[in-house]
Amino acid sequence: MVDFLIGLFLASLIVALFTTRLYRLLLWYSMNSLMLGLLALVIGDSLDDNAMILTGVMTILIKAIGIPYILKNLSQKFHFVRQITPKIKVQYAIMLVPAILVFTFYLSEPITHMMHTHANYVAISISALFLALLLMIEHRNVAPKIIGFLSMENALFLLGITATNGMPMLVELGIFFDLLMAIVVINLLFHKEELQV
Amino acid sequence: MNLTLLLLPSIIMFGVSFLKSDRAKYILAFSSFVILLPIVELFLLPKPYNILGNYLVADNLDTYVLFLSSIVGIGVTLSLLTLDKHVKVSPNAYRKFYRFFAIFWVGLIFSILSNHMGIYWIGLELATLSTVYMIKTNYTPAAHKEAWNYMIVGAIAVSLILFGIILMYASAKPILGESAMEFNLLLAHAKEIPSPFLFEIGFAIATIGMFVKMGFFPMNLWLANIERASFYPVAALFSGILESAVIIGFFRFSKIAMEVNYNHLFLFVFVYTILTIFIVSFLIYRAKDFMRLFSLSGIEHMALVVIFWVSGAPFAALLHFGAHAFLKPALFLATGVLESNGKYKIAGALRGYKGKKGTLFWFLISLFILAIISLPPSPMFFSELYGFGAMINRAKQGDHILSMLVAIFLLLTLLSIIFYRFVAIYQSMKYEGETQEKKVYTSELFALILFAISLMALLLPTSLTYLQSIA
Repeated sequence: MVDFLIGLFLASLIVALFTTRLYRLLLWYSMNSLMLGLLALVIGDSLDDNAMILTGVMTILIKAIGIPYILKNLSQKFHFVRQITPKIKVQYAIMLVPAILVFTFYLSEPITHMMHTHANYVAISISALFLALLLMIEHRNVAPKIIGFLSMENALFLLGITATNGMPMLVELGIFFDLLMAIVVINLLFHKEELQV
Repeated sequence: MNLTLLLLPSIIMFGVSFLKSDRAKYILAFSSFVILLPIVELFLLPKPYNILGNYLVADNLDTYVLFLSSIVGIGVTLSLLTLDKHVKVSPNAYRKFYRFFAIFWVGLIFSILSNHMGIYWIGLELATLSTVYMIKTNYTPAAHKEAWNYMIVGAIAVSLILFGIILMYASAKPILGESAMEFNLLLAHAKEIPSPFLFEIGFAIATIGMFVKMGFFPMNLWLANIERASFYPVAALFSGILESAVIIGFFRFSKIAMEVNYNHLFLFVFVYTILTIFIVSFLIYRAKDFMRLFSLSGIEHMALVVIFWVSGAPFAALLHFGAHAFLKPALFLATGVLESNGKYKIAGALRGYKGKKGTLFWFLISLFILAIISLPPSPMFFSELYGFGAMINRAKQGDHILSMLVAIFLLLTLLSIIFYRFVAIYQSMKYEGETQEKKVYTSELFALILFAISLMALLLPTSLTYLQSIA
């Protein structure tokens, strides 16, 4: 089950890299977060870790539902460009993605040897981090860059779950709080100000 | 002493920022003075002092850093009183600036006082996010672009730090459990970490994140462009406060990494910082405006602080850091007056001041500029003497005395380029260009006097003894 969910997590991120429409990108981010939340629920259940289960529920509520909904509203309010063509052409991106995956598995080999549990998952979370960075790099528009930043945060969350069997609850809550703060700041950045001197 | 007392000034500031009265800006400035009270009390308490369990612990190092930050905060709020005299700022943007300044201060208190890697990161992220909007208070397309730039690059940098923290936590969790997040426990058990390589990888990644946030290689111009685009108090906050929060994290992480494998840490950090100074020195040579000049010089000084720290000269590092924390915000705040007749006018910037206030202003700025290039009796002169001495002592203990001497020679060459450029700029400011009258306001002069007094206080025997006790 965990293998299946982690596969879907990675797949949703890869599909997001090839998306050319903003709402589709939001959908794939939402799916990515949903898989992450479900992963936290499954791993938390197997470890009998209530804090991780709670984190999984919050991930689904905030990241899979709340943030995509807010971003969609923002995009309608501020008339975002919905056609988001990546700078990297599809034929190159299709070669780049497997190259990143192979490279990160090779790169993280010395680390994964030291992990007692979920060794391959750590490699996947590091590759997800690189793919999220690629998502930020390959777009000119701000909206996909925001999704890239949020996906990067998902990758780190996955690393936290898999490398450490979950971070302390206080840290997880703090990260959620910062994420919400980021959304508030993003909202303010989009506002068109009027100079009233 | 409890956490509420430390957070009270921020809460007052946040609340007052919603008032639309003209007097609000004086209350806002006054509320920054209140920050000093709990910090002075912290100085008097026995250390380490647990403020919030094992999560927030005050020791000599973080009390010192918090004190420096509060002085900078007061200086910035004093100069904010006359911000509208130098730049176009709407009352609404001004109030929002303070609102985010209050949030910034909360994040800062958490990250500086944290004894927990997770809380350190949360505080740093909060401080980073709040500064994004401060950049945006300057309603120009350049500031708008740079605010986004800061949001994205800053997010990548803090993500790298979190990535590193997770790996460090994973490396020590088998022996310490959830307490592997606590700095003091990690330091005490550093030699028992079962996967030192994993810890070192985590440390290297977190360090790169922190260095990116401070504008080190390869992001040397990132911070300079942001500070150029935003209002000058933002640059002062960056150089005097935000960088303090970042560097204290480096101090804490590196103390543990020194116990794990000192040679690896030293080589990695030393090469990285020399590379940074190499690039920055040439960028300073080409700098054509005050903001970029001071910003790049800030990167150079933070790189020196890092080199001194890892070379086994924490006293020199802390002295240099303290001097920089006072000098750089003072210079950034002065750009409001220096650039009042055009953004990029260096020639004649120190001319055209009349009256006692004007004379005092140009005299103080001259001293600050000469102090930043480490001319005696600047604290930076003494810190560099101690720092370079410590580097040689460190090399004597190993077999690398020749390579260390080459590195010191290279560093001194690069510093001399910076020295030459600053002297040329100072001469241009004083003796070239047309004389255009500039106005200096009392509040900003007070801010500069505060920084000058603080700088002198840093050289008092009691201050030096305190720094030695931290080291």
